[in-house]
Amino acid sequence: MVAAGTSARVARADDEPRADDETSRPIADYGLIGDTRTAALVASDGSIDWWCVPRFDSDPLFGRLLGGAAAGSFRMGPTGPATVSERRYLHETATLTTSWQTPTGRLVLTEAMVSDVIGQLLPTTLLLRRLTAVGGPADAAILFDPRLGEHHRTPRHELRGDALVCTWGSLAVGVTCTPPTRIEPGRVSTVTIGAGESFTVAVSVAHHEPLIHVDPDRAWDVLAQDEQLWRAWCGDIDPDLPHRDVVVRSLLTLRLLTYSPSGAPVAAPTTSLPEDLGGVRNWDYRFAWPRDASIGIGAFLGAGKVDEARHFLAWLLHASRLDRPRLPVLLTLHGRHPRPERLLDEWPGYANSRPVRTGNGAADQHQLDGYGWVLDAAWRLTDAGHHLYSETWRALRGFANEVADRWQDPDAGIWEIRGDEAHHVHSKLMAWLALDRALRISTTHRTAARHVSRWRAARDTVAHEVRAEGFRDDLGSYTRTYGSTDLDAALLILPLLGLHPPDSDEVRGTIAAVRRALGAGGPLVYRYPPGDDGLPGGEGAFLPCSFWLVEALARSGDLAEAHRLFDELVVLGGNLALFPEEVDPASGAFLGNYPQSLSHAGLVQAALALQRADHEVGGKS
Amino acid sequence: MDWAGWAVFGLIATAALTAVMISAQLAGLTRLDLPLLLGTIVTEDPDRARVAGFFLHLGIGQAFALGYTAGFAVLGRATWWLGGLFGAVHVAIALTALVPLLSGVHPHMASARAGRSSTAMLEPPGLLGLNYGHRTPAVAIVAHLVYGVALGLLLQVH
Repeated sequence: MVAAGTSARVARADDEPRADDETSRPIADYGLIGDTRTAALVASDGSIDWWCVPRFDSDPLFGRLLGGAAAGSFRMGPTGPATVSERRYLHETATLTTSWQTPTGRLVLTEAMVSDVIGQLLPTTLLLRRLTAVGGPADAAILFDPRLGEHHRTPRHELRGDALVCTWGSLAVGVTCTPPTRIEPGRVSTVTIGAGESFTVAVSVAHHEPLIHVDPDRAWDVLAQDEQLWRAWCGDIDPDLPHRDVVVRSLLTLRLLTYSPSGAPVAAPTTSLPEDLGGVRNWDYRFAWPRDASIGIGAFLGAGKVDEARHFLAWLLHASRLDRPRLPVLLTLHGRHPRPERLLDEWPGYANSRPVRTGNGAADQHQLDGYGWVLDAAWRLTDAGHHLYSETWRALRGFANEVADRWQDPDAGIWEIRGDEAHHVHSKLMAWLALDRALRISTTHRTAARHVSRWRAARDTVAHEVRAEGFRDDLGSYTRTYGSTDLDAALLILPLLGLHPPDSDEVRGTIAAVRRALGAGGPLVYRYPPGDDGLPGGEGAFLPCSFWLVEALARSGDLAEAHRLFDELVVLGGNLALFPEEVDPASGAFLGNYPQSLSHAGLVQAALALQRADHEVGGKS
Repeated sequence: MDWAGWAVFGLIATAALTAVMISAQLAGLTRLDLPLLLGTIVTEDPDRARVAGFFLHLGIGQAFALGYTAGFAVLGRATWWLGGLFGAVHVAIALTALVPLLSGVHPHMASARAGRSSTAMLEPPGLLGLNYGHRTPAVAIVAHLVYGVALGLLLQVH
């Protein structure tokens, strides 16, 4: 709708106050919008404070989240302080709405990116934002302040017709508005929106290609079609899942964080959100971990999203091809090795949490557990009746052989602690899992007898050794490393393996010991004793482990407790049902990169385990 | 125009190019797999696709050999270095134009614009095939130089 009465004026950026400190807005305050190629984080004041273009792992166009005002942002919202009256996603879509109470009524911001652009003359990246005044006219402030990359480069810009065009070499960003309004980079435009009328902005991005200008109102129709497709995508998810709305949001978030051109699941769209406020545990998660992909396969498969599960496996096998039979710890979205980790010294970081990093030094580690996740995911597919292509099985056999060769070596472990390698019990258990799942797959896929006998012998030796070296009778539990008394929340995956019966003393003892030693209150658990990783400071409770705890309890027979903890966990995600990597047990503040694929996959797996356990109990009664 | 030479040596040159590509793949230098890329146009099963793609690749190699042979005929001579020159032009066009265009016509290949509804499985190669590993352009250049040099040399001797 064109607002006939809408008027506009332009002011300098520093006319526009922000109610709180630039980088201290809580992580939970951010909503996610995306198109499966990139994603942005939007604060509740309507400011996009993080958006890398054109891909998840590109340079940030808006980096205020980590770099302060100098790193740029894009705000659309009320001119003065206003109360957020509602914040939610439109039902089963990726469209985010934020409503503010204004002196004259309500101002509503609706925003999303268009995911499906193939077959239409649309830019590859298209962001749409619409402000609507409800109940009375409203003044709104628009600040479009792009600053590209590490050095916050301002664009060359000019008005071409009604469109503002900003360029940085091969990257161009076009901004069009309805009704046409003069937008200048770095300056606040104030618009008055008539009651019942709207002000719409379309941002199109072109990289190494011509810019495609779009009429915002026409683009809004395209978005409506996109929303329909999201609803259809969500519509066939099992209606009987516990907390279905939250599970659907998690699946949708996992899909939003899957880079469609390659199928790579990005661990999180952010870098360096701290695991310890003001601390140094700030890592770049804009990469794909085969472990996460494998856990995602289980989540999608369990929810009936078979295509997504197969895509993850296809990506994993394609991306790991250059390293086979070694499985890389992490890869770029196109399956390359990440560039060396670098520190961005000039960036202040989120809430002064330095350093801000790009790249991830964990890429060169040896982590044994990844093989277990991958082979388990492949087995889940075969167990669900899907036959693996011979090429896929050939690659998986290579992984199993690698495990049989290397399981006795110390490794860096699942938590990627940078320092001496150790004999991590979780890693040995996952080596057992890898060999066991390879053996299971071999019953339905052609396999040479020598492989089968070798895997069986190695699996049995692992089982014997890990029980002898990794289990302490005095604790009644497996431990973090051989000979240690420390616990590790990754051991909560024990009942999923099949090494021991789920209701055995070993499984129940380990769950109880982990809760005693690493419990952080309620459903929260630390992944290992906080601070026990050679870095200064501590960290929050690790959410994926909390979901593994729910799954472990459900599988080991403590169903009521599992439900209770799950009910408490899903509330943590708030209205938007988005989950970070960690939570501060004392304040409930989100910590770590956000939103985190592993947390969302863990949530889905926990819900599926609860549903399965409910059915089993129902079947018995 | 040396028709007999084209028929025989085109196959030999294509086989040499294929051998270089497969060796590079096995050595972990690139994920570029031409038989797979071509074969998945007709089937999604990678193993069947490789068989189909191998023959498609042979056919395409033969078609390109026709161009090379015609080029030699026009210039009135066939030499190894002229073949290498043709190979260099060939690989430049392939890497900058043909390979990136593949995602526009391949039924099972995603593009950089792929979104939620994309059911394609193959990753697009990108400019210069860099999405298949940073050494992919070097491997492709070597393979096409081998192809051109082999064809020029064999036709020269013939």
